[in-house]
Amino acid sequence: MIENSRESTKSRTLLRWLFAAAFVFAIIMSGAFAGLMNKAGLLYLVFGSVAAALMGFTGREIATAFKMAGGAAGTEESLRVSAHFWEAAARNAWILGAMGSALNFTIALGTPSEGIAGISNRMIQSFIVTLYGLVLAVVCLVPAMKLSGQAGKVGRPASVASGGLPLDRIVGHVLFAAVLVLTVLFMIGGQPQGGPMPIAKVLLHGPAILVVIGGSIALALFMGAGAGARAWTLGFAMTGLVSLLTGLIQALLGFVHRNIAEIASACAFIISASTFALLGLVAVAGPLEDREVAEGRRDGPGILSRLSWVLFPLLTFIFLLLTFLMVVTPMEKPGPGM
Amino acid sequence: MTDHKAGKIDDLLREALADDLPPDVAAGMRQRIERFRSEKMTGEAKPSTVAWAWLFRRGVWAALSILMLVAGILLQAGRSSNPLTDRISTVKAAYTGLEAPRR
Repeated sequence: MIENSRESTKSRTLLRWLFAAAFVFAIIMSGAFAGLMNKAGLLYLVFGSVAAALMGFTGREIATAFKMAGGAAGTEESLRVSAHFWEAAARNAWILGAMGSALNFTIALGTPSEGIAGISNRMIQSFIVTLYGLVLAVVCLVPAMKLSGQAGKVGRPASVASGGLPLDRIVGHVLFAAVLVLTVLFMIGGQPQGGPMPIAKVLLHGPAILVVIGGSIALALFMGAGAGARAWTLGFAMTGLVSLLTGLIQALLGFVHRNIAEIASACAFIISASTFALLGLVAVAGPLEDREVAEGRRDGPGILSRLSWVLFPLLTFIFLLLTFLMVVTPMEKPGPGM
Repeated sequence: MTDHKAGKIDDLLREALADDLPPDVAAGMRQRIERFRSEKMTGEAKPSTVAWAWLFRRGVWAALSILMLVAGILLQAGRSSNPLTDRISTVKAAYTGLEAPRR
């Protein structure tokens, strides 16, 4: 009787997923949203999410999470870890979406293009990756909500000893690096490049890297070992936020001084700092927090971590929009600093 | 107990426990005491050395991170030349209908 009921639940879940997949496929094939298609962004998001999942979870934990999302039964511990896996997957998709937009935006601005219209088109196209990230995050949140509701009924599990860095997590890091490199190469495909490693020079913005990495390490050290991985989440998110505000103020001052160089410097800082802060969140802080939860060292992510994961990518998106407006807004008369 | 009686007991103890150890036994005891003291000293030094090394590493990281932060802020404030900044300048100038600013 119980077996029959379980089989029926599995079939219904599978049917629901197949229906959703068919619906999405039909929308894509209809061509109604052809303007919303960004192949490089979609591939980056899918493979980036897979790599990010592997960075924070072992292959066995991922397989169990998929089985439990499909209605399979499991232990209390696997229920809790699976619920966290889906929450982490939603977080990764959302962060990767915003990061993809920032990366795409940098490449759109940093590589030669066919006139102003071409650059504008590519800048607008870059925002679509955030939309993809949001959709994928919502899809991942469905099993997360369902499983966390069930996991909330069970008590706190015993701490599980860390088994070091397993092979699948190393594979996750390597895969993530490969996805980033391939995405950049795919995005700049066909664009004329001048000089040695020009795209690397464009992407590796020195001041933004120094501020984000330096600020994050300093904040994590000052918070101490007791804060654990949360210190890194807050470190990257807060440093990123400070960088965004600093860049905005500098850009506004540039408008006041009517200095194009100042505005350009501020825009470059905003885009690069947000990219590196998001990279730190998804590749360093996120996997560390995931291991803490999976090994039972914490019940779940803290409220500040969750706020950071939701708000910082959203702020990045808003600041990219502002950057776009600042770049395309003509200035009437340049000042003497030009 | 009176003072007189206490004094007598002290004298008796001194007689019974006189310092009449043979020289080799005394030397052995001194060696053992020295060994015990040196072990204690080394044992105390180990955790402090580890703690100092840990503090030192932590301090290095803290100093390094602050230096990176300050260097980044100074570079940004000084508007150092960068390919992305130059490209944005060109695009912005194109929208404004001007030539890109020269650095």
